[in-house]
Amino acid sequence: MTGVYVVGAALRPAGRHYGENIDDMAAEVLGKALADAGVDIEALFVASSTTELVNRQQILGAYILESLGIDKIPAFRVECGDGSGGAAVTAAYYALASGEYGCVAVVGVDKPNDVLSNQQVDVYAAVMDTYFERYFGFTPLSHAALMAKMYLKRHGYKYEDLAAWAVLMHERGAENPYAYFRRRVKLEDVLSSEYTSEPLRLYDVAPLVDGAAAAVLCRDRRDGPRIMSVAVATNAVPFNMRSEYDTLYSLREAAARAYKAAGISPRDVAAAEVHDSLSIFGVLAVEGLGLAERGGALAALKRGGLRVNMSGGLKARGNALGATGVYQLVEVAWQLVGREFKRADGRYGVVHSMGGVDRTSAVIVVGL
Amino acid sequence: MIERRRLSSWASDAGSPAERKIIFSRQGAVVRHESVPMYWRNIPQYYRLVAKRCRQCGAVYFPPALRCRCGSAELEDYDELPHEGRLVEYTVLYQVGTDFLKQKPLIVGLVELNGGVRAVGQIVDAQPDRLAPGTRVELVFRRVAVDGRHGLIMYGYKFRPVQP
Repeated sequence: MTGVYVVGAALRPAGRHYGENIDDMAAEVLGKALADAGVDIEALFVASSTTELVNRQQILGAYILESLGIDKIPAFRVECGDGSGGAAVTAAYYALASGEYGCVAVVGVDKPNDVLSNQQVDVYAAVMDTYFERYFGFTPLSHAALMAKMYLKRHGYKYEDLAAWAVLMHERGAENPYAYFRRRVKLEDVLSSEYTSEPLRLYDVAPLVDGAAAAVLCRDRRDGPRIMSVAVATNAVPFNMRSEYDTLYSLREAAARAYKAAGISPRDVAAAEVHDSLSIFGVLAVEGLGLAERGGALAALKRGGLRVNMSGGLKARGNALGATGVYQLVEVAWQLVGREFKRADGRYGVVHSMGGVDRTSAVIVVGL
Repeated sequence: MIERRRLSSWASDAGSPAERKIIFSRQGAVVRHESVPMYWRNIPQYYRLVAKRCRQCGAVYFPPALRCRCGSAELEDYDELPHEGRLVEYTVLYQVGTDFLKQKPLIVGLVELNGGVRAVGQIVDAQPDRLAPGTRVELVFRRVAVDGRHGLIMYGYKFRPVQP
């Protein structure tokens, strides 16, 4: 069986990088990842969600490679909204597994802080159905709020139970040198923050951050954690026609396939990074990955048994949109080997990268 | 209350002077206006909830689909979705895009129309604390957004509580 390995990686601290252009920011982190890997790449996969909307830039890969003086290799862009990162890693995996390439790189980058915060809402709303959702003013936040309300009611939780998610993420983010928020918060801070879309408050919304992350992947070079399996699934049912609102359908499908292909079960997972762009999505992702039973994630959180998002998740590390999934892959890979993060207590880790409101999910299983 | 503010003249729809400054002085790279043909071609859905119905199995699709889950590609325009229904759940949205600054906050509701087809729509003429799952609502025709730069006014459906 073909093996794909993460042989080098680099992360850029998430933040507000007003002083850099998007191609240079990606090139810098890609250059570090290449130096870390010590190999030449035959192709580049670029994960970016908003390069047209924010930076008016297309063919971003070519401009990134220009900055590094890497000539002649192909560069592909993968766009799946804020789930672009996981999708790009998946595409890179397939390119290696096909036998076409021996080593490729994935770089994720987005710079949402190049526009004003009101305009960030416009930009992020592009992951919604542009004709029948975004047109009416709906955003991922409004629909997450509807899901949160229905989830909390159905499973007998109070908002305070959900607020604990942000507290935990900030606790983890304080330990992550690449996180945007590196301070702890109290439950009272969350509960007294302003409503963004009730019941959700400011602390339920992950900050949009400028970020860049890169990973170098090679076939059959046992020099780092191995990508055991990848799976992407889309949800073809529009929000208003869904039969259930307390679950992430695209994730459940992708997780089932990825676990099966890797030959592991949720019990084997020692490190997990999930897409908590809104707190409720993080909770639903924990359940979708089988790390808690359905309706049981917040109870597990209360018991203190939730070992997900050691990076601080999107809530504390930040939501770097298209770059997020690449951050997550690197974070899980590094947690497995104890680099930059506390070493995970096991051999397997899993990444959940999601685009839109349960429109598409990628699940990546990483193992030692 | 929320609705009355929205009916002010289009010239002031960009919001307070501070908000106008944000919108008009710092365009950024974000595309700031809707496409006229996009608006025009979706008018049947925006104004009248025109859906698609499968000729084989009767399933209704809103937004319209091209192929039914039953496998049939024979879908016809369906102009008879009820314009009354009940609220399934709702939220009050405070973080809105630039086209909606003047209208904020928006009440966003998931509505089950009589007969079972659901739609998400803004809830207007309503006090959020008087809404609850099960509240009866009816479809109304309202202004959705105004492109203050190009003068395009866009309309569409919203819902309001049925007065007892």
